Amino acid sequence: MRNAGVIVLLAVALLPVAAGLAGLAGVDGNALREVLVAPGVRGALAISVTSGILATLVAVVLAHLLVAAAAGAGWLARLRAGMLPLLALPHLALGIGLVLVLAPSGLLLRLLSPWATGFTQPPGWVTVQDPAGLSLVAGLAIKETAFLVLALLAALAQVPAAGLLRSAQALGYPPRHAWLVAVAPLLARQTRLPVAAVLTYGVTNVDLALALGPRTPPPFAVLVWQWFTSGDLAARELALAGTLVLFAVTLAVLAAGAAFYRAASHAWRAWAATGQRSHLSGLALATPVAALLALLGFAAVAALLLRAVTGPAPFPAVVAPRIGMAVDPALLAAPLATTLALALATAGVALMLTLWAAEALAARSSARAQVAALLFVPLLLPQLAFLFGWQVLLARLRIDGLFVAVLWSHLVFALPYVWGVLAEARGGLDPRLPLVARTLGAGRGTAWWRVTAPLLLRSTLVAGALAMAVSAAVYLPTLFAGAGRVATLATEAAAAIASGNLQEAAAHAALQVVVPLTAFTAAAVASRCVFRDRRGVPG
Amino acid sequence: MNALRLEAAVVQAGLRRLLGPLDITVPPGEVVSILGPSGAGKSSLLAWLCGALPPGLSAMGRVFLGERELTTLPPERRGLGILFQDDLLFPHLDVAGNLAFGLAAAVRGRAARRAAIAAALDSVGLPGIEARDPATLSGGERARVALLRVLLSAPGALLLDEPFGRLDPATRVAVRTLTFRLARERGLPTLLVTHDADDVAAAAGPVLRIGAGGS
Repeated sequence: MRNAGVIVLLAVALLPVAAGLAGLAGVDGNALREVLVAPGVRGALAISVTSGILATLVAVVLAHLLVAAAAGAGWLARLRAGMLPLLALPHLALGIGLVLVLAPSGLLLRLLSPWATGFTQPPGWVTVQDPAGLSLVAGLAIKETAFLVLALLAALAQVPAAGLLRSAQALGYPPRHAWLVAVAPLLARQTRLPVAAVLTYGVTNVDLALALGPRTPPPFAVLVWQWFTSGDLAARELALAGTLVLFAVTLAVLAAGAAFYRAASHAWRAWAATGQRSHLSGLALATPVAALLALLGFAAVAALLLRAVTGPAPFPAVVAPRIGMAVDPALLAAPLATTLALALATAGVALMLTLWAAEALAARSSARAQVAALLFVPLLLPQLAFLFGWQVLLARLRIDGLFVAVLWSHLVFALPYVWGVLAEARGGLDPRLPLVARTLGAGRGTAWWRVTAPLLLRSTLVAGALAMAVSAAVYLPTLFAGAGRVATLATEAAAAIASGNLQEAAAHAALQVVVPLTAFTAAAVASRCVFRDRRGVPG
Repeated sequence: MNALRLEAAVVQAGLRRLLGPLDITVPPGEVVSILGPSGAGKSSLLAWLCGALPPGLSAMGRVFLGERELTTLPPERRGLGILFQDDLLFPHLDVAGNLAFGLAAAVRGRAARRAAIAAALDSVGLPGIEARDPATLSGGERARVALLRVLLSAPGALLLDEPFGRLDPATRVAVRTLTFRLARERGLPTLLVTHDADDVAAAAGPVLRIGAGGS
């Protein structure tokens, strides 16, 4: 059957979500009441909602202004290159790295002490894990700005930006204003799903909140996670009820976001209709702000690597007097091996499923877009909301805690990215190329291997690196599908940071950063090497 | 060589008839032209003849090469070579790789195949470009290589889908003359679709005129 690949792909991606959401029906009414009156729940929900919304607003505004600035000054390619490593950076590792940079005893104050600050002891300030959740917002903003910039750049390829910009400028609008009235609304429309995913993630994530979120009360998702991991059966009932609350709150926030989008588009049109023309010079500030956030992200990685290979140093020294692994390498070997095996398997299976399904939809761009939207569904829902119920199904199938169950959970989160890159590349391939191969006598399979596959090789490499990055990063899916028994760098780093062991957290997180960076570097080098003297091969 | 024959060929988009019914016989060594504006379904007709009608279109009718019916065969078993407006050389293969892809498997042995490719390039005045990247060739050179590639596959008939449309006027005449000459020399039945009256005049064969959105 021609569409078999599409059906398998969608089943792999959506069965866990369907099974998981069905599991929410089993929530006990008493447990639900108990959750709503549990101490700290109101504060926890408030932190989750405010930090999620604030981070989304910051990321959306920064991403749009960055793309506008880059398009105006011709550094879109460099912007893309700068954002890719931030996208590949696992949330958890970024959170741990930011703690190492921003904490009162962190890298930043060490670099300034004692010569500028006079401190010989770390001050008693509250920086990370602040009760208002501002450090959490900063961490989210770093990751989500990068994600949205890349989503906007993908959308940019689908709108006639250059022509619109030129006509708006010809009407007397300065470049930045021209972009904001003529191009940005189209891009905003095209990127509604990614923004919704950012909002959901902001409100419901555990990874970043574990490292950067306040502790009493923690963000609501962390509270649910604590109930779940407490090992207490009554607490598990509470946790399941908590995921239902989280699900409802997320839907409410998404609905509010959709209403806000409509109101904002309306206001935008009214603004454009006033005919004012302005340089909007103040908005140029976005570029240094974004640069600062990016710098913070790279500093977090540097701090992770530094801490991993040197261990703790007495304040205010930046480097410990004795260089050497502060964590027993034997402790890292097993989780590293599992992480790599999962990353490679995720990439392999995701690429095969995508290539198979994309072949059937090569000539149907609207069907490809529908599949893309369906694959995006798991990113629009709180992970906790469906992972819980899905674990129950996995346990019934007796595959919970097995490698294959964790692999499946990673596929759910890798496929939207792999599809976005690879299915579009397949659709962009001139259909007459494989046809010519066939009229020259090649069978369907031969034409695919000798013409289609080589021309998709570069996109395949990039998509594979993305899949590996996602697999190395995801924490909750690994925890749930692995039933706590599959130890990866992500689960070990999360356990370490939750128990306050910064040293072990840093060592695992540093390796967690190395996996996607290695994958992306290898993909970039390989795609430059293949067909290097064939100018006509798509990039 | 055998004649290419279309019987009651109709191309439809949904329920709307784009083209047909057409009954066409293209004798060996002759060029039959279908002249019509763009959007008249000409390219779809050739796609159907190749066995690769795009989704959303349907066709009725039968296709024969001599006594052999092609209607239900997959593209690779029809023996119909096609040239498009774009040369569609495989960008990841060098010139020799493109020609070797086309060259019939019946030519066996590395040396024999290499000699066949060299002789073919020589015959169109492009000796020694085997190792070139197609992207570095001029439009006229690329068109010649594409023509050689399809001829080396030893097709039973040749389909031309506005193959000269992208070439500059001087190159266009040269490539057109070469294409028709080689097709005639090999006795290939050739079906040309175009919206250009000059192409039709140069083909010097029977002409079928069709209108937009139905004949």
